Amino acid sequence: MMSLQDIGSNGKEVQPKITSRPKQWTEEIENLYRFQQAGYRDELEYKQIKQVDGVDRWPETGYVKKLQRRDNTFYYYSRKRECEDNDVQKVKVYAY
Amino acid sequence: MPTAYALKESNQKSLAAMYQKPKKDHRVTEGFTVKAMMKDSIVVGPSSAGSFQERPSGPTAFRKCYKRGDFPIALEHGSQGNRIAWKVEIEKLDYHHYLPLFFDGLCDTIHPYDFFARQGIHDMLEHGGMKILPVIPQLIIPIKNALNTRNKPIICITLKVLQHLVVSADMVGEALVPYYRQILPIFNIFKNVNKITTRVEEGKVADIAFKDFDELLQNRLVPKVRTHGIPVNTGDGIDYSQQKRENIGDLIQETLEIFELYGGEDAFINIKYMIPTYESCIYN
Repeated sequence: MMSLQDIGSNGKEVQPKITSRPKQWTEEIENLYRFQQAGYRDELEYKQIKQVDGVDRWPETGYVKKLQRRDNTFYYYSRKRECEDNDVQKVKVYAY
Repeated sequence: MPTAYALKESNQKSLAAMYQKPKKDHRVTEGFTVKAMMKDSIVVGPSSAGSFQERPSGPTAFRKCYKRGDFPIALEHGSQGNRIAWKVEIEKLDYHHYLPLFFDGLCDTIHPYDFFARQGIHDMLEHGGMKILPVIPQLIIPIKNALNTRNKPIICITLKVLQHLVVSADMVGEALVPYYRQILPIFNIFKNVNKITTRVEEGKVADIAFKDFDELLQNRLVPKVRTHGIPVNTGDGIDYSQQKRENIGDLIQETLEIFELYGGEDAFINIKYMIPTYESCIYN
């Protein structure tokens, strides 16, 4: 199983790479947008840094509801879509 | 030393006219008096009641508490606009203390107080659940104060907050019914304010959303023709205020319908008592 930071053949740590910039909104992009607003790459990084098993989500939509930032303040998100069409291309999709 | 020159007679007369007090026209009188029935009397209309005149509220308790650092919030500037970062989880906040203070900030029009109040209320209502219902009686006075400012942007924001409040938790709509007599009178005043028109130079009528109207007046670009409550022919103009949800008349109608939907059996009769021209959206 791939870990967040894999050791490459030259012994240096390998950082996840941006594979693409999305062109259309999806629910996955919405959640990625919310993580990146809070200062994380994605859910994997959030769980590793905050040492938590799960993320607070809205039961109806499954979108992220609450995130704790690195400075320990909290961001709360709406149950409806927050990522507008002109923000979709600013979201980064990472691959490990 | 310069010699004094005597003023010409014509100059003396104009100087005297400048400093003369305007003569009171004794024919002017108010209506429904004996003098008004007399020949040659000029009857003037009643003075304006000032129901649409704005009444600024002054510095709020919200602003005072924010400057003191009582709120666990911080402003975060982002590429997508501003956000609130909460220093304490909203679920752990004392709603009895904080929610009325945030509602008090609705009267504020200065940045960042207006943003914090609006966004803070939104976040607390979204995540409050059953903690909101017991606080309703304490929210009525701040809501009434915000509506009584008669400031159209503040009224629009307060109406949207009321809509969110009613749908935020169970029984909140029914809990608001006894307080309709305190918050609905302002709805009655502004219910028919749908449009303000202006007449441009060549006599054409242009329809402009009300927030642009004051700007034009200040710049003296157009003389004022104000219509309150009279439906105006827009021609082929587009009323963008409706699209942006800033048209007060439509917002009030929307809010009343939500009150009726979530207010239970007694909601309609109580709304009708305060706003006689309102028609039910359930029974029609």
